[in-house]
Amino acid sequence: MTMRYTYILLGAALLLGTACEKEIDLNLNGNDNKLVIEGVLTDIKGDCSVKLSRTKDFADDNTFAGVSGAKVQIFFNGDTTLLAETTTGVYTAPELSGVSGNTYGLLVTVDGEQYSSTCRMPSKVLMDSLSIVEEDLFGDITKVTNVSFKDPGSETNFYRFQQYIRGNKVKRYYVRNDDLTNGNDINARLYILGEDDDDHEYDINSGDEVTVEMLNIDASVYKYFYSLSNSATGENDSATPANPVSNISGNAIGYFSAHTVEKKTIVVP
Amino acid sequence: MKSKLLLIAVSLMAIKATAQQKHTISGTIKSKAKGETLIGATVRVSGGGGTVTNEYGFYSITLTDGKHKLEYSSMGLQTGQLEFVLRKDTVINLSLEDESVALGAVTITGTSTKRSLSTPQMGLEKLTTKEMKNVPVLLGERDAIKVIQLLPGIKSAGDGNAGMYVRGGAADQNLILLDEAPVYNASHLLGFFSTFNSDAIKDIAVYKGGMPAQYGGRLSSVLDIKMNDGNNQDFGVSGGIGLISAKLNVEGPIQKDRSSFLVTGRRTYADMFLKLSSDSSLNNNKLYFYDINAKLNYELGDKDKLYLSGYFGKDKLGVGDLFGLQWGNTTATLRWNHIFSNKLFSNTSLIYSNYDYTISINSGSVNADIYSKIRDYNLKEELQWYPSSSHSVRFGINSIYHTITPGQVTTSETSQINARSLEDRYSWENAAYLTDSWKMSDNLSVTYGVRLSTFSILGKGDFFNLDKEGEILDTLHYKKGEFVKTYVNLEPRLALSYKLNTTSSLKASYVRNTQNLHLISNSTTSSPTDKWVASTNIIKPEISDQYSIGFYKDLFNGDYELTVETYYKSLQNQIDYRDGANVNSVSNAIESELLFGKGRAYGIEWLFKKRVGKFNGWVSYTLSKTERQIDGINDDKWYNARQDRTHDIAIVAMYQLSKKWTLSANWIYYTGDAVTYPSGKYQIDGQTVYYFTGRNAYRMPNYHRLDLGATLQLKKRRRWSSELAFSVYNAYGRENAYTITFEDSKEDPNKTVAKQTALFKFIPSISYNFKF
Repeated sequence: MTMRYTYILLGAALLLGTACEKEIDLNLNGNDNKLVIEGVLTDIKGDCSVKLSRTKDFADDNTFAGVSGAKVQIFFNGDTTLLAETTTGVYTAPELSGVSGNTYGLLVTVDGEQYSSTCRMPSKVLMDSLSIVEEDLFGDITKVTNVSFKDPGSETNFYRFQQYIRGNKVKRYYVRNDDLTNGNDINARLYILGEDDDDHEYDINSGDEVTVEMLNIDASVYKYFYSLSNSATGENDSATPANPVSNISGNAIGYFSAHTVEKKTIVVP
Repeated sequence: MKSKLLLIAVSLMAIKATAQQKHTISGTIKSKAKGETLIGATVRVSGGGGTVTNEYGFYSITLTDGKHKLEYSSMGLQTGQLEFVLRKDTVINLSLEDESVALGAVTITGTSTKRSLSTPQMGLEKLTTKEMKNVPVLLGERDAIKVIQLLPGIKSAGDGNAGMYVRGGAADQNLILLDEAPVYNASHLLGFFSTFNSDAIKDIAVYKGGMPAQYGGRLSSVLDIKMNDGNNQDFGVSGGIGLISAKLNVEGPIQKDRSSFLVTGRRTYADMFLKLSSDSSLNNNKLYFYDINAKLNYELGDKDKLYLSGYFGKDKLGVGDLFGLQWGNTTATLRWNHIFSNKLFSNTSLIYSNYDYTISINSGSVNADIYSKIRDYNLKEELQWYPSSSHSVRFGINSIYHTITPGQVTTSETSQINARSLEDRYSWENAAYLTDSWKMSDNLSVTYGVRLSTFSILGKGDFFNLDKEGEILDTLHYKKGEFVKTYVNLEPRLALSYKLNTTSSLKASYVRNTQNLHLISNSTTSSPTDKWVASTNIIKPEISDQYSIGFYKDLFNGDYELTVETYYKSLQNQIDYRDGANVNSVSNAIESELLFGKGRAYGIEWLFKKRVGKFNGWVSYTLSKTERQIDGINDDKWYNARQDRTHDIAIVAMYQLSKKWTLSANWIYYTGDAVTYPSGKYQIDGQTVYYFTGRNAYRMPNYHRLDLGATLQLKKRRRWSSELAFSVYNAYGRENAYTITFEDSKEDPNKTVAKQTALFKFIPSISYNFKF
């Protein structure tokens, strides 16, 4: 969320009411079809998946360009699990789950090239409650999802949240660390900012079902998602838009995350 | 040209003297109407030679005994002439009359002085109040900084951005001085206005090259702004009411001829209209600024004068109770002029400068204030010595103590945020300089000098050693007052001018500048919350070496001026950001987000100006290139700096239609800034993520805009005069890109689109100004 961008537009709008948006054509050069790896291992069986794809041109469609025929392995100590390709570019191991404190390795081999990563599964912090609160956002009383939990003071924690409204996943990245909140009772609000007024996709109304997944992630995965949301979502005005800081070595982009998951659903009162 | 001849008979005591003997004439030149001392007024000696007044109106010239004719002149004022026989050291204080006695009248009869072809100073732009007054501006608020940006080599950072880029320099590489006090954020209202109230300004000089040795601390330019002293003849009030702001200026004598005061204030009131709105998303919001300039001066005697001047400004922005941001500068300058002898002038200044901001967040369970500041205590002592008619020497010292509070978090008791703060940083900056302007012959002049600058980083605090990836290897603890590191730099300054004939000259200069305060802003737009960071053990002083050559030609009796300057700059220890840098992290090791390397900038600037006549104005064109080479960015290859703009054109025209109406227009065009756009995309977690292949590898769309203005002089009564000023900003409604963002298309989520946001499209305004 870039506050600066929000407020300068607000400033211009308040002052003059003239800020205007339009779509434009830019001549964006082609790219080198780099390998994208999205590896996930959780403490729940069936969640493990590694997605392989390639970057596309800006003008192409947004469909997933899966990479087939790769060899995908997850390591722990001496044990190796070979993942099977279930659909094009998606590799899974339905029986594999992880345990907090363990460090897992990922090895991907595509066309003779190797890409690898390691990630430690952090300890699991549980939600105290999931609730909906009302807040005055820019003059509108808005329903906002609120996750309460107690941050452990004895360790450094990194969190990621995923929010679903009426079953639709909210396209926002919610990550936080405990730099300024270590050891505190936390109320994490999952704001949905930057929507157009006439866009009601993510409005929360009474009777709606809201689901939240709370993930405890490793520092390197926090860094990946933090830098992604800061500099690669295309939304903000960072002077240095860049590819997120990856924890994968080899000439690929993406991440490998071993994390814990807790899921809660409520019906909005 | 109405130039009244002023003849003053000066009777001098007869003293026996040989023809070879020399004596000194010195004094102060003022304007008759207001008693303001005149900066840069020319004293010309018939038969060759001359000098100009310094920043306090003082001059000194040593001539052989005998009969002399002196001519005193200054822009916009009548020329004074004086004939006398020199036999002993003489003090001549002079007041020059206004060219046009009518207040507020637009006098496009030209200025009495032409620019000087023979002084070695180059890369200097001066602005007259007339130019400042008539150039159309956004919302009718006259703004010196915006007019300066129409000159070659000086570029606006764009709509809604406060910064300016001078000869390829970054926005933080400009030294902005208000009565000698550094101003750390020269913008109001997110860059829409500058902090300088034109009503309070006496003189503006911009040095984009060849900076004299008395200036130092920034790489690319010096913007030296001097406030009016206040009218010591008469009490006067002037003011203006515009669409979004009002201002008032009061000045007058405390003791006629000896002391005076000046107070100028401004406030915007756009937010008051917001309150009238029924839209709850608007009427709860705050957005305004106010500022005050004040000055007092007092003559203690013939040889001593005291000045006290200050500036205070504050901006406030608030979104309901949810979010608040306020920021502002405070400066104060106490100066003491002392004339030791008719050849030695001294000025001592004590200067205070402070810039701070506070962000308040009040949302749900997050309640926190974040406070940040940079504060300077500054002592300057300068001596100006005029040993002979061909030399003028300046030397002095400057000592500044900086305190930077990068971020101090305070919270309420119920807040879930822990109060935690970044460490304060302390540093001590010192400089000593010596410079001599030497007129070697009628055609050749040289100014040479040197500035020795030191920068000491002081404890208390933690400093770091980092590895190549920016991770902390070890932490070094320093106690209070302990020296962490001292950087010493010697900065040579050299400027030459050679007069080819009476209408043209060639100039060349070399200047080294160093900079120890750096603005960290990981954004394409400027913000009041950008961070000032001092050099550390890792952040080395930035160094710039600039070489420049210029050609100056007066055409058609000096009615037209042509200036061509070209420059090459080599830069060391330039700063850029690591990919995905987080400069707002709560770590004390800001260096871990930064990368360092070198830079180069070169270009050529043309300025063609019509100075006089009913129709006047100028055309300026800059062709330039600015690059960086920093290991870790773009495969260690040279890449365009953000402020790299190939072409930059400004056309400014003013026309006096009748006694009542003055029309003006300006048109600007420049190549879009170098920016980073995605070259591709991919999916992560079901969302589109953009793929980048090079920093600053693309361009913003080209920028162009036409502004129109008109001033109507209303009926004048005895003392009262007033005018109406109309303007249209962006007259043909060009949508210039402020930002460009990328997103999934709303119509077809399977496609991605680029979207541009423009801030200003066709903004008319009207304002009323008065004076009595």
